[in-house]
Amino acid sequence: MPDAPRYPTGTVRALIESDAVTAPTRAALLARLDAPAPGAPRFLDAAAFATLAAACARLLRPAHEGAPLAVAAGIDARLADGEGNGWRYDALPPDGEAYRLGLRGLDEAARAAGSASFAALDGERQDAILAAVQRGEVAGGVWPALPAARWFEEWLAETCELHYAHPLAQERIGYAGMADAPGWPHVGPGELEPREPRPL
Amino acid sequence: MPDPHTAASATRTYATSETVDAVVVGTGAGGAPLLARLAAAGLRVVALEAGRAWDPAREFATDERAQAGLFWTDERLSAGADPVAFGNNNSGIGVGGSTLHYTAYTPRAQPDDFQLRTEFGVGEDWPLEYGDLERYYDEAERALGVSGPTPYPWGPPRASGYPLPPLPLNGGARIMERGCAALGIRTSPAANAALSARYFQPGVGWRAACTNRGFCQAGCSTGAKASMDVTYLPLAVSHGAEVRPECFVTSIERDGRGHVTGVIYRRDGRDERQACRAVFLCMGAVETPRFLLMNGLGNESGHVGRHFMAHTGLQLWGRFDEDIRPYKGIPGGLISEDTHRPAGADFAGGYLLQSLGVMPVTYASQLARGRGLWGPALDEHLRGYNHTAGINILGDCLPYDGNRVELSDETDARGLPKPRVHFSNGENERRLNAHAERTMRAIFEAAGARDVWAFPRNAHVIGTCRMGTDPEASVVDPDGRVWNVPGLYVCDNSVFPSALAVNPALTIIAVALRTADRFLDRARRLDA
Repeated sequence: MPDAPRYPTGTVRALIESDAVTAPTRAALLARLDAPAPGAPRFLDAAAFATLAAACARLLRPAHEGAPLAVAAGIDARLADGEGNGWRYDALPPDGEAYRLGLRGLDEAARAAGSASFAALDGERQDAILAAVQRGEVAGGVWPALPAARWFEEWLAETCELHYAHPLAQERIGYAGMADAPGWPHVGPGELEPREPRPL
Repeated sequence: MPDPHTAASATRTYATSETVDAVVVGTGAGGAPLLARLAAAGLRVVALEAGRAWDPAREFATDERAQAGLFWTDERLSAGADPVAFGNNNSGIGVGGSTLHYTAYTPRAQPDDFQLRTEFGVGEDWPLEYGDLERYYDEAERALGVSGPTPYPWGPPRASGYPLPPLPLNGGARIMERGCAALGIRTSPAANAALSARYFQPGVGWRAACTNRGFCQAGCSTGAKASMDVTYLPLAVSHGAEVRPECFVTSIERDGRGHVTGVIYRRDGRDERQACRAVFLCMGAVETPRFLLMNGLGNESGHVGRHFMAHTGLQLWGRFDEDIRPYKGIPGGLISEDTHRPAGADFAGGYLLQSLGVMPVTYASQLARGRGLWGPALDEHLRGYNHTAGINILGDCLPYDGNRVELSDETDARGLPKPRVHFSNGENERRLNAHAERTMRAIFEAAGARDVWAFPRNAHVIGTCRMGTDPEASVVDPDGRVWNVPGLYVCDNSVFPSALAVNPALTIIAVALRTADRFLDRARRLDA
């Protein structure tokens, strides 16, 4: 939507450092905001991780610098720790296997397009592969073992959940709910507290 | 403010070798009121909870990811034409169960909800009537401190009004109110189990008023929302109950006559046994049937796990010119029950309409699943988050034999079989959803929405151990007694024979209080 608002930068860091944010909330946000650069992947091999990071970059474009890598590392860490969100589609294999297959499928498609890997393709052709997977219009290779559209949905949902939990992503959409120490007496349409960012 | 956690550590505990009167498994809307009622009657009772106890003021962050520990994350396999999402959608863990993250929407069911088969010839009648639950609704609303309108515009007249006036309407609620007014649909501030003013409850103490933090679905940090950990559980503890967290129940023991004598649970990696005279399963409509199936209990009729229901919960989202800020205020501020039995319906039952606020990660996740946006389209849409409002329905779902919980061949981290949940909407749900989508689109159009999109979903887990009077066609009797297993009871939303077109928590509590009273009545008769 062309009229989507834009918000000033720096507001969330300022809020976090103010007394408008409670201690548990501040701890959760700073852990993400100040997270060190991700180390080597623990679940995926290096090639699969590179594919994941490259693909996340297309899904999240134009996110802040480092966002796709952080999301890819978050997915890898979850898979390494064997954690889940409480359910999975019965039609899909277990999460780790699904990611390994799906990422291999992206690389297979890239090779069919004449590239050494998905990460080595240009963005336009990466997007074409992602769109085909999302529509389920892929065949052969890994796909008989992995319902493509369902896996893409799971992956996109996880990518969004990780990314929009980041303070900078929340700042970009003008979210201020983390300023949770005071109450919110003004809740009607157009009623803003002083600490809520105004669009530029 | 009371501190139930400090209180609990100083209160009564029971030795595992001591034969207590009852063990309650699960501390959500089914287990907690039951525990409090039995304890108040002087019974020795222990609640076993799979999850941990929380100190919300010190531990709850206003951050969705940081709060993921409130959700039941042992993996469930979702099958059928309309696989149901679990985890943050509807399954809790921790002292308080899923009330830790419920929206606290607490409408009563209406009398005809309990008689769907009589009215429409489909679905199932309850063996109870509204009149059997009415005084428990009254009692539960007072115990929770429900904020709501008096008089309430729909349903039968009531003996008393809500204990507190309604909470303020947030942006989304005002938008829905405007759209409905243009169409002649009546609306009202909703009944919410969150305090519009500070509130005193004997046995619990003072609870502070809601600060409009808008984070009900990821845990209330102030105690204003009536989750069980700040209401019925401290009440139970004040009457001598023990709440024992981080205990995962795996089986029961029975004597030569088949009567329950104890319960086996895992704590700190070891099995322990609590001797008891009765066990109440209050683990919800997936874990309760899973437990019965794993242990081969109560399933002579073949009905355990069957008739799984999940409310039709279609959401409609739209963009508005106004600054809505959907993270503020009680998320479900406005209600309409004008669609309880809508004109022109080509389906059985009905639905209610609710306004919706939403937290950003939840919205982004639903957007991913519902619209599949990514790249610049995703970014642009989410930059409109502050201008987003929603409406959803809460509608009937008929019980179908093929919708069920079964045990799969996969095992989870505990070494137990994962449940597989089959769910497909039927023609009735499809027609109801179509009617609701037309209604909601008209409301949003009248309210001035742009970029409107529908998110089909089913929410709340219901059924699977239905109550009835015929042992061949039910799992428990109307008092919650599991057929053919003396001393074993079910007290949660799995006993519901039909879904009821309202959010389930208040009715679960009412049924739990009634189940407790029936249990106590029988015990007194035996003593006499």
